[in-house]
Amino acid sequence: MGEMVFVTGLSHAPGLTGWLDQAPEYEQKSLTEGFTRLGEMLRAAKPDVIIGIANDHVLNMPVDDVNDFCVGTAASWNGPAEWFRDWINVEPYTVAGDPDVAEAVFDGLSFRGFNPIEKSELLFDDNWSVPLVYLTPEYNIPLVPIHMNCVVPPVPAPRECYELGRAIKEIVEDELPNDMRVAFMGTGGLSHDPGGPKYFDVDEKFDRWFLSLLEEGDAEKLLRECPPEKMVEAGDGGTTELMAWIAALGASGDRPAQTICYEPSVALRCGMGCVYWNMEKERVDA
Amino acid sequence: MGIAETRHALPANRMIFEVRRDPAKFTDFADKLENLMEEYGLSPEERQAFRDIDIKMLGALGVHPYFLPQVSRLFHGGAYNHNQSAAAQTYGKSVVEGEGKTR
Repeated sequence: MGEMVFVTGLSHAPGLTGWLDQAPEYEQKSLTEGFTRLGEMLRAAKPDVIIGIANDHVLNMPVDDVNDFCVGTAASWNGPAEWFRDWINVEPYTVAGDPDVAEAVFDGLSFRGFNPIEKSELLFDDNWSVPLVYLTPEYNIPLVPIHMNCVVPPVPAPRECYELGRAIKEIVEDELPNDMRVAFMGTGGLSHDPGGPKYFDVDEKFDRWFLSLLEEGDAEKLLRECPPEKMVEAGDGGTTELMAWIAALGASGDRPAQTICYEPSVALRCGMGCVYWNMEKERVDA
Repeated sequence: MGIAETRHALPANRMIFEVRRDPAKFTDFADKLENLMEEYGLSPEERQAFRDIDIKMLGALGVHPYFLPQVSRLFHGGAYNHNQSAAAQTYGKSVVEGEGKTR
């Protein structure tokens, strides 16, 4: 059986790499140190592969032909897509994929009724390009990307995303090769409103409340108290990316998250932060 | 205007989707916008909103909200897209301040 050795949820907003110098110095320091620490922790877990889930941003699945989840099956990935390069200020890179793991994830999710699609060609924007700068700056850990539609209605329910995370943990443990070490990342959020009237605002109250729910590790409470409508109130068109973090909660096995950093960054037009789940520590009430 | 009001079959949504993906289409957007809008079959209202860089109107017509700041970047560039950048300011003027037309 494989092993889920590290799980994280982190923001991917482009300002982190594109215009961080516009943020107050304390935000720059907090975010740089926090995301750097997260990367160090992920690499210390020595994963053989990272399985990630993030908003497709309507970049590979058009608004008139969306699927909830798309598993990327290529042997290697290039990013960022050309039009997004100067926006996110990330140099072109290549990162390996893992077709065998991708097929196991695709087959396992299909068998469990999630009805994903698969693609061997995907364009990457900030969804992966920003996190990878901090998590794997040498681009030396293979990535299996899962692109999610969380912004074109009808979007998957938070419970479906949570169950998808649980299913991926099962697939890792039951269907991947012995001793394969897997990290899981959910990227996006926190509150932001690209394309809405709150474009220059951040909902700090919502963000801190959401983080507190993750820190409790009570999935049923989170699913009960944080429906999509609540995310939309905190920023239409962007905050629902937090369903990737809910998938990460599922992938952690309902452990309490630990927040590394959070900043309600108006300069970056996004609540920015990252959390991780300690996969070594058993829950007290387990 | 919001993700729930997106018109999935709106020609502008297909055009923006492909312009971001295909460098040749982006070149056409920059150099031959009228031809491109004709190619995708945009309505007269959609075409006028692009001519006016009226991002608020594009939202009202059913362009997906996620595309709206990107429309501003298609016209003004995406590099160093901080709050005072031309792209962010144009979006703010049209949508947040509600002025609509910015050209």
